[in-house]
Amino acid sequence: MAEDLVLDTAIRDWVLIPLSVVMVLIGVLRYFVSKLMRSSSQLPDPKIVKEGQVIIRARNLRAAANFIPAKSFRARKVYYSNEENGLLFVPKGQAQNAQAQMFSDPNMAMDMMKKNLSMIIPQTLTFAWVNFFFSGFVAAKIPFPLTQRFRSMLQNGIDLSTVDVSYVSSRSWYFLNLFGLRGLFSLILGEENATDDTQRMMQMSGFGMDPSKSLSAEKDGLDIVQHEWALPKFEQRAEAVLRKLVS
Amino acid sequence: MVSKTEEEQVNRLESQVENGGGGAWEYLCLVRKLKLRRSDKVLKFGLSILNDPKKRSALGPEEWTLYEEVAVAAMDCQCLDVAKEFTKVLQKKFPGSKRVGRLEAMLLEAKGSWAEAEKAYMSLLEDNPLDQIVHKRRAAMAKAQGNIPLAIESLNKYLEIFMADQDAWRELAEIYVSLQMYKQAAFCYEELILSQPTIPLFHLSYADVLYTLGGLENLQTAKKYYASTIDLTGGKNTRALFGICLCTAAIGQLTKGRNKEDKENSQLQSLSAVALEKDYKQRNQSKHSLLTATLKSLKLS
Repeated sequence: MAEDLVLDTAIRDWVLIPLSVVMVLIGVLRYFVSKLMRSSSQLPDPKIVKEGQVIIRARNLRAAANFIPAKSFRARKVYYSNEENGLLFVPKGQAQNAQAQMFSDPNMAMDMMKKNLSMIIPQTLTFAWVNFFFSGFVAAKIPFPLTQRFRSMLQNGIDLSTVDVSYVSSRSWYFLNLFGLRGLFSLILGEENATDDTQRMMQMSGFGMDPSKSLSAEKDGLDIVQHEWALPKFEQRAEAVLRKLVS
Repeated sequence: MVSKTEEEQVNRLESQVENGGGGAWEYLCLVRKLKLRRSDKVLKFGLSILNDPKKRSALGPEEWTLYEEVAVAAMDCQCLDVAKEFTKVLQKKFPGSKRVGRLEAMLLEAKGSWAEAEKAYMSLLEDNPLDQIVHKRRAAMAKAQGNIPLAIESLNKYLEIFMADQDAWRELAEIYVSLQMYKQAAFCYEELILSQPTIPLFHLSYADVLYTLGGLENLQTAKKYYASTIDLTGGKNTRALFGICLCTAAIGQLTKGRNKEDKENSQLQSLSAVALEKDYKQRNQSKHSLLTATLKSLKLS
């Protein structure tokens, strides 16, 4: 079905633009609110800092293993993956504790909740507002064709199944704005603004178990590494360089 | 470490400001970002901006960062009254701030009142036991007082937590070399090479330490690292070229009895000798004869 629906320009004036403007304003508001609410810089836990640094160091070892002599590499490998007191070795029991500790620690829990709230509440409110006021009509046409699967997601208020899926309701415009305005916010608010929802969502999923999991991941990676000393090759390369230089 | 383009940019800006063209603020921002230590220039340019109320207000909220930067530069140049004045200004603006507290402790350190500075740093550490800068300043204080073992101990403790901090590893390596603890210094240089394997400086220092340690295996390893330095610098590093010659000579001495190593890269040595001669001929004619004599003696021994 390729009939073209003619959309009223009033839709553009009274739906698309106000919705975008409102979202930008809400984003700016959230930024300032989060700045106000931010508790005085939280003291990072020394263990977590140390673990982060250990990971960096272990990663460097893996990456540049071929640049140091075999003996030193082996010594370091044992240092890291030693059963008793290796840096990367995390006994099974402790791995669970990290997450439990995180939730029971009142400060951290409060902070996480605050961050989550500042993200969830405006999103929920705006979504409800959009649904209430701007549903039941076609808001825009997406310039590329879509399959039928997207119908339920993009056309929530439109109950005609014969309408082309490219014609979407304002709910999809809301989602588009939600993810698309990130770039705009980094322009007007500078880097590191609280509206970076997608980043936060990605962070949230990996937060709790992060330290101990990445430690064991690093340890496995280190076990796999084969040391192949690259330095002898360098001698030949140096020769070539000098030869070119001298000739 | 600073890349070449950045260094050129900084130098260009510096000469530009020196000769009266504008750009002092950009220069100061760049120095701050790259963490360079050009305290005399920073002090001069910073004072010119801060003493001019018009330029100062043009900075807006960045003014306070500039105060901090110039205060530290003043302490480095021992203009303690300037530093004290700026610290007071910052203290008035941000009372009870940890950053200003740090500046005050640094001021005590610059004056030489070690005990008070130590007390101030300890109290800062109580509030925030993970403050990297304070830890490093304590180690620096120990070194300045000449208490090297304490400096080593503080650096080691610091590195236990912050083991990815390259500058600390470098400092520790240099301290070890000054104390002739070469094995430990070699370990530190290995860490540095691991973190940034493309910087020739680390290869060179590592090779130097290995060469100083001596022993056949170390000499051979040192030779390889001198070779990698040559590779990384395109053959322009005179020290590495010398290193190759010396290593080969020393190895030759150690393996005098055995003849099987003959094929081993004698070309490398002759090539580096030729490169050295060419270099000296170009740059320092007067020492050239000295060089030829040295090389001849090396080849013979």
